[in-house]
Order: sequence, then structure tokens, then C-alpha cells
Amino acid sequence: MNSRRGFLRDLAAAAAQVGSAAREATAEPVAPASFPLSDAELDRYGRQLALPEWGLAQQAALREARVLVVGTGALGSPVALYLAGAGVGRLGILDDDAVELSNLHRQLLHFTPDVGVPKAESAAAKLRFLNPDIVIEPYRVRLEPANAGALVEGQDLVVDCSDAFATRYAVNAACCAARVPLVEAGVSGFTGLVMSVRPGETACYRCAFPAEPADAPGCAEAGVLGPAAGVVGSLQALEALRLLGGVEGALLDGFLQIDLLGAAFVRVRTTRRPGCPDCGAL
Amino acid sequence: MARTLDITAFTCPMTWVRTKLELERMAPGEALEVRCREGEALENVPRSAAAAGHAVEVQGTTIRIVRA
Repeated sequence: MNSRRGFLRDLAAAAAQVGSAAREATAEPVAPASFPLSDAELDRYGRQLALPEWGLAQQAALREARVLVVGTGALGSPVALYLAGAGVGRLGILDDDAVELSNLHRQLLHFTPDVGVPKAESAAAKLRFLNPDIVIEPYRVRLEPANAGALVEGQDLVVDCSDAFATRYAVNAACCAARVPLVEAGVSGFTGLVMSVRPGETACYRCAFPAEPADAPGCAEAGVLGPAAGVVGSLQALEALRLLGGVEGALLDGFLQIDLLGAAFVRVRTTRRPGCPDCGAL
Repeated sequence: MARTLDITAFTCPMTWVRTKLELERMAPGEALEVRCREGEALENVPRSAAAAGHAVEVQGTTIRIVRA
């Protein structure tokens, strides 16, 4: 649901109008401090605010947003870095693993001295260095059907960067139940997939993929080059910002199929399934 | 009386960012007078404003922009 963001946007517009009336009366030059964003925020986010598609409303929506990133690995690293850098106000990062040496070639949030450190804590430390103006909430838990509802509740968006189909289905079911928008993604070898979901409005992950593929390799045996995961995670982060900022073109009612060996991006259309166990009743 | 914005203290890209965000808070048809320094801002801000679809007029170091 976007009602909270919509409300804040209206509030910002109303505040801007009041400010404008006051300035008209006094004909004073506009003081930078009268902006809804602070000078520090304007400096930090200036290059995104310069975009025609991104402005005060989008940046304010981001600051008020609460986002949960499930997993801080190969996908979660670029996602959390970009969302923290962009100014998401409250960023939850969830991971119950510890950093391993074999993670480092693709998991940008973790470095060699972090080996053995819980990933949620390792990630939180880097993200706080990146942007001390936002709140980072690390969760050292594994998302399962039993706790998914509580973790997803109250979020404005969930970005699923997990590496297991069971987790993806648990995230999807919880997001549908709570009507929380979701960005799903996966990467295996040189292929990847990104999909956005507005539960009750567009096809959910289970609508598109009703059952786990029988031949899906486990993540550890699949093999992946770091940048391949980075591309998919970056696209996922872009989707998240697009949904939070209300920028057109999100991968809704469809997914992006990415072939990084053939350098091919294909947008595949999907539709809601009336009998979907996760979103059919919405 | 037109709104005024002083961007003489800023450099690229903040000269345009400050101008753009002020324009975002205005109604279509409203005018903004931007005071800037010679050089980069005087070249880039009018170009960016015109590219964004606004009507632009430069008088000395003042850029007058009518919001589209």
C-alpha cells in the first residue's frame, strides 16, 4: 500500500504551498533552509535530484520509507548499498549467515577481515559508514514461514535477495498477506531474473512460478561470477527505487529475464492466476 | 513579484539542482528569477531549464524562468 507515502507527499505539497505564500508576501529570496530537504541531503542526493524523473517528492518518499532487504549476499550487497546511498530512511537487513572467504568475490558488503562475522552485522557497519543519516536495522535471523509475517509487517517494500526457493515463496506469501510490494530476483550462472510485485494488483512471484523448478541447482554448486550477480542486484535496487519513488516502467505483471552470456534482456509478461494460493484471495 | 533564488554560492550540479527543486514547488505559469554568477551556472542552468520544458530568458546574471 502506498497510502503512507501518498499522505506524506500531500503533506509536503501542502507545506510547500504555505511556504510559497509566505515568501510571496515578503518577496524575500528563497533561503536554502526553506527546502523540505536539508542542505546536507541536497548535497548527498544532488546527482539523483538532478534527474527529471527524481525530485523532492521522490526523495521525501524515500526518506520516509521502511524497506527490508532479505539477505546480504551477492544480490543483497548491491541492493543494500544502493538503497542506503539513495537515502531510504529505515533499512532492515536480514541474514543469519556468517561471512565466509568464498563469499567475498561477489558479496560487496563484506571484506577479508569480516570472515566469521555475522553478515547482518558486517553489512550494517559498512552501510552506516556509507550513510550515517539513515537508520540501519540488522536482523540476525533466517526468514521462515513462521516469522515472515512479522518481519514483513509495516514495511513499505521488501527486496528479496535470498538464494533459496523456499525463502522466496515464504517472502512472497508474507508480502501478499500484508499487501507489501516486493522485488524478487535470482541469479544462477550467467542467467538472472528480476520481478516486481504489487500484491492484489499485479502477478505475484507464485503466479509467475507456481512451483520450484525440479532441476534447480543449489546456490553453492551453481557457480557465479561476481559481476553477474552485481548486474542482477543492481537492477533489483533500481526496481526498488522506482517503486518507492513512483517512477514509471517498473517490472510489474512481468519479469526481466537476463542472459549475461548472450547479453540479452527479455521482458516476459505474466498475469495474475485466479487460483494463486498466495494472492488469489486478494 | 516573481520568486527569487540566489545560487551564487553554489557550483555544478547544485546550481541546477537548487533551481530545479524550487521550480518543482511552484505552480505552472509562475516565474522564478535566479541570480547566478558568470560562467558555468549562467551557461548550464538556462540550458537545463529549457531542456526541462520551461520558458527561459537571461538578462545579465539573472535567469528568468517561467515554470511549464
